[in-house]
Amino acid sequence: MKFLQSPTAKRWGSLIALYAVVTVMTGPPGNQSSPTLGFTSSFTETVSFFGLFPAPRGVFFAGLFALVIGFMWLVRWSRGTKIGQLRTAVTVATLDFYREAAERRFARTGFYLVALVIAIALPHVVTDPFWQQAMVSQIAIYVLLAIGLNVVVGFAGLLDLGFVAFYAIGAYTTAWITGALPAAAPFHHHLNPFWAIPIAIVFVMIAGVLLGLPTLRLRGDYLAIVTLGFGEIVTIFLNNLYTITGGSTGSNQIPHFSIHLGALKYAWGLDPVPYYYLTLGFVVVFLFAFSALEHSRVGRSWVAIREDEIAAESVGINPLKYKVIAFAIGAASAGFAGVITGGQSLFINPTTFTLSFSINILVLVIFGGMGSIIGVVIGSLIIQSLSMYLIHAQPVGFQNSDLYIYLGALLIAMMIFRPAGIWPSKRRRREVANVENGLAPDLGNSSQLRNGEQP
Amino acid sequence: MTAPLFDVQNVTLRFGGVVSLNNVSLHQNPGEILAVIGPNGAGKTSLFNSLTGVYQPQEGSITFNGAKGALSVIGKKPHRVNAAGVARTFQASRMFSAMTAFENVKIGAESHKGIGVLGAMVRGPSTRRHDRETDERTWSLLRFVGLEQQANVLSASLNYGARRRLEIARGLATNPSVLLLDEPAAGTNPAEKIELTTLIRRVRDEMGVSILLIEHDMKLVMSLAERLYVLNFGSVIAEGTPDEIRANPAVVEAYLGSTDTGTTQGAQ
Repeated sequence: MKFLQSPTAKRWGSLIALYAVVTVMTGPPGNQSSPTLGFTSSFTETVSFFGLFPAPRGVFFAGLFALVIGFMWLVRWSRGTKIGQLRTAVTVATLDFYREAAERRFARTGFYLVALVIAIALPHVVTDPFWQQAMVSQIAIYVLLAIGLNVVVGFAGLLDLGFVAFYAIGAYTTAWITGALPAAAPFHHHLNPFWAIPIAIVFVMIAGVLLGLPTLRLRGDYLAIVTLGFGEIVTIFLNNLYTITGGSTGSNQIPHFSIHLGALKYAWGLDPVPYYYLTLGFVVVFLFAFSALEHSRVGRSWVAIREDEIAAESVGINPLKYKVIAFAIGAASAGFAGVITGGQSLFINPTTFTLSFSINILVLVIFGGMGSIIGVVIGSLIIQSLSMYLIHAQPVGFQNSDLYIYLGALLIAMMIFRPAGIWPSKRRRREVANVENGLAPDLGNSSQLRNGEQP
Repeated sequence: MTAPLFDVQNVTLRFGGVVSLNNVSLHQNPGEILAVIGPNGAGKTSLFNSLTGVYQPQEGSITFNGAKGALSVIGKKPHRVNAAGVARTFQASRMFSAMTAFENVKIGAESHKGIGVLGAMVRGPSTRRHDRETDERTWSLLRFVGLEQQANVLSASLNYGARRRLEIARGLATNPSVLLLDEPAAGTNPAEKIELTTLIRRVRDEMGVSILLIEHDMKLVMSLAERLYVLNFGSVIAEGTPDEIRANPAVVEAYLGSTDTGTTQGAQ
């Protein structure tokens, strides 16, 4: 029985369990007359990967797991051998290459320009209407939301689980000022959604400050609970304030964006490509603004507060003020995304604005690397593209309800191999390294002095 | 006579039933190097935390008369007290460990310059000018404490003496009238102690910043301080010049005569 308690047995046990869970949960459901059908048919149902490798689902996933474990074994076995040394050398050389490139301003600018050119050319390469639509409503807007949440979670270190509330307020403000809600519009002339941008930003920032001022005195988990509650409150209000918000049916008459500036006239329509460029433009602006912010006095103050709040206060930083600023800036970008969603999708209702939406955005931030703008963008691209691919191509008998099982497995794998994210920020890497080397206290210790430490 | 820099009147600080500071009154004159000594648990760090707004004493008053005007400290937040001209270091030095030495000092130099979120986002000309100014100030402070060679080293990987000096530079960066040093010599070797003594004296002489010091190392205190207060069990038991304090029987009693903790002084 001693073997069962060894780390090897535990590791194998958890792998087998993960395999069984993924297989059963992604398989067909059972029914009342044969309760075990859901279990057995999950293993026996024939699936194929794009018509290739048809096999029972149980065998398919076993093969997939074996492939991954085999690869890990290969890597471990090669350690110390010639192949392993070669692998290490290649890895080190590649890392050095990237690091040096990242240090050089010229190379960095080049990288960003290439990325921008690809982003601009993309709608002309990908012409599938599903993907063109997804690029706006499921990828570009999610990037916008993720870099906004990154300011709150990554820069300021505040866990916000109610981020969706600001997104909802942005979208509903758009509906309101364009006269698409049961509530009377504030202006006689129904405006186009561009006018909603400043108004929505002011609204969400007010909401952010109102939520932030009383709650940001809380730390860590407590703050997460309060923001979670705030998100729920907003959704419930949207559902129940029927005469103002249209209740569960929401609004379906939001007009498209349009420009009428003298000779410059343009109207966005049902075609997603112009909306893609509009969103891309805003994403680029936000990327510049937030990366300047990260390297400014404000960004440094956030790091200081995150690392040691007592020390930060002792050098004159007002933690509450900077936390509220982070909240308001994050909220503003979510409100912004809400406005674009409103104008682009034309209809909104409360079912979009749920807790799982907030968590989805949080996953993008964690997956990409908290506090790393470029990482968060890459993370959002990977996860959202993968989700859209699964939904669109439906490989391995995929059903939409399986989405989070695959994403969950991906997140677990990421946490094992790259706990700081796909592309962690320099500071986060240092923080993790400091804690591991015992050079810095673990998180949470900064509250020690305040909580009545006896002198 | 000019108004004292710090004027502490009848301050009492309690944690539940434990009295940490008991009716403490003391003052510091402008330009003075003042030390507070006492056995472990005498309430020295509590006094520091009360002076900087971290703890809120239940009774008494603390008035600070800095270059930027008078401030009643009790009830003010630490960042507000710092803005009035009180900088400090910590017993176990608290650096921002994932930042370089340069960034640590820069944080202090720029914290009172207003926020300007929009300016920071667009990096307008005034933001850039402010940035250049704080950079220059940061460099001059790093030179002052002798850390300009290690400006780009992570603060967590600096040695103990360097971290102490960095903390002093960070405190000075906030442009204070008084610098509170909580056991600056703890954990340093004899050579570093001598450097530190020189540095502290230079802070006062060249920068005109008064010093308030807590220290266990008697040699360092006696050579540095111009006046001392002795705390024991949260109360002031003696006050005077180093020579007076050495000759004071109550102090000798507190340090040598007490039953268990007396002999541990200086052990840190």
